[in-house]
Amino acid sequence: MTPEEKYELFEKFCGQELSINEKARLNKLLDEDVSVKEELKVYGQLHSYLDTTFNSEAELAMLENTLKKIGKSYFVKSPKEKSTEKPIKKEIEKETKRAPKKESRVIKIPAWIYVAAASVAIIFGVYFFSKSNPVYNDFATIPELSIAERGSADKNSKNAEHAFNAKNYLEAEKYLSILLSEDESNAEYQFYYGISLLEQDKYANASQIFERLYQGNSGYKYRALWFEALNQLKQKKYDQCSELLKNIPKEAEDYNQAQKLLKKI
Amino acid sequence: MGNNKPHADQKYIEALLKNDTIVLTEIYEKFAPKVVGYIKKNNGDEPRAQDIIQETLMTIFKQAKEKGLQLTCPFDAYFFLLCKRKWLNELKKSSGKEVTIPDEVVSIDDESVSFADETEIFETKHELFTEMFDQLGKACKELLKVTFTIKSMEEVAQKLGQSYAYVRKKKSLCIGQLTQMVQNAPKFNQIQNLL
Repeated sequence: MTPEEKYELFEKFCGQELSINEKARLNKLLDEDVSVKEELKVYGQLHSYLDTTFNSEAELAMLENTLKKIGKSYFVKSPKEKSTEKPIKKEIEKETKRAPKKESRVIKIPAWIYVAAASVAIIFGVYFFSKSNPVYNDFATIPELSIAERGSADKNSKNAEHAFNAKNYLEAEKYLSILLSEDESNAEYQFYYGISLLEQDKYANASQIFERLYQGNSGYKYRALWFEALNQLKQKKYDQCSELLKNIPKEAEDYNQAQKLLKKI
Repeated sequence: MGNNKPHADQKYIEALLKNDTIVLTEIYEKFAPKVVGYIKKNNGDEPRAQDIIQETLMTIFKQAKEKGLQLTCPFDAYFFLLCKRKWLNELKKSSGKEVTIPDEVVSIDDESVSFADETEIFETKHELFTEMFDQLGKACKELLKVTFTIKSMEEVAQKLGQSYAYVRKKKSLCIGQLTQMVQNAPKFNQIQNLL
């Protein structure tokens, strides 16, 4: 049996897709050679490792974010406070409940002031009530894709460009992924691929792309961070969105928009 | 490992899986002081303790996610032991020699020790797998990423503009190659000896 055949059997074994004949072949192989048994064990472990790793990247990033926040608020307390072991939750509750104690003095206020104050309160109330949370569409400006060279015979670039600019993101995703399979590290392809996913609400996959770009050093580093923040905004995850926005530096193209959005959140 | 009924502290494992801020905060309140005390006593400081705690919790998450970790012992000793070992490894890395510090902080039962052993082996293996995956060729890396994120092989094949049979064969060959790289790594034998 060739290694190709062996690994195909392993793969089917992991996916529980073995036919009766294939099962018999694999069992025979395992009985004949102890090292194959060991190899299958490692193959299976790698299979489950890859599956979990690729499918829980976003969850892990979110957990990391949460732990950082909790850690920050836990460790920021002075050692003295910590030794008394005041629970954080109670601290926070206390903070919010704590009203400034002032000595009470009775001052007579004319009735017209009450009326004026009430009117102002109503005006403010109406203003803030009508002011809703920021939404993705107000902030997402989708850039145009321009990758096809004039006179070039590369159909995939042309198709990707055409689909993306026509807002046909499913098609754009398809062509960009073909382009990426030929040129994996092309940041431009990755960036537009991420946007195509985001526009189709494929949030977790879009996150993976934007995070990778942000961790790299391409010209799309901060554009990717901005779009990842928009990704969180689209999911109404305002806390995560604002955390990401804070990391967009002044020199970044989207800095002003990021600041504007931060103020609205 | 002991009886099969999960311990009430399994709630901390669930909290990691669900990203439950309230229960995760409780972990810090209840279990961090002991870890911080230990690390500070042994050449560390608070920022290092914060990192150790966070890394340990993320390792537990990964194990729970992949292996469905079911805790049948209290979280306290298990978590402390993991943080302690991680810290000793850090010290070992920075000083270049074995570090042993006598136990004094808590008495640790056998069950907690074996749970901590299991998590430690999981982590070491995980690190080896990641290291080997990084050494794989670009084409294999990309193909594995796509095939594991998109469950339908037909869709993957369509996406990559290849035939279904080709993609499946290539996937199995890439994992096969990774298997051999892992088995040939010296670290792999060290892990096998721990089992």
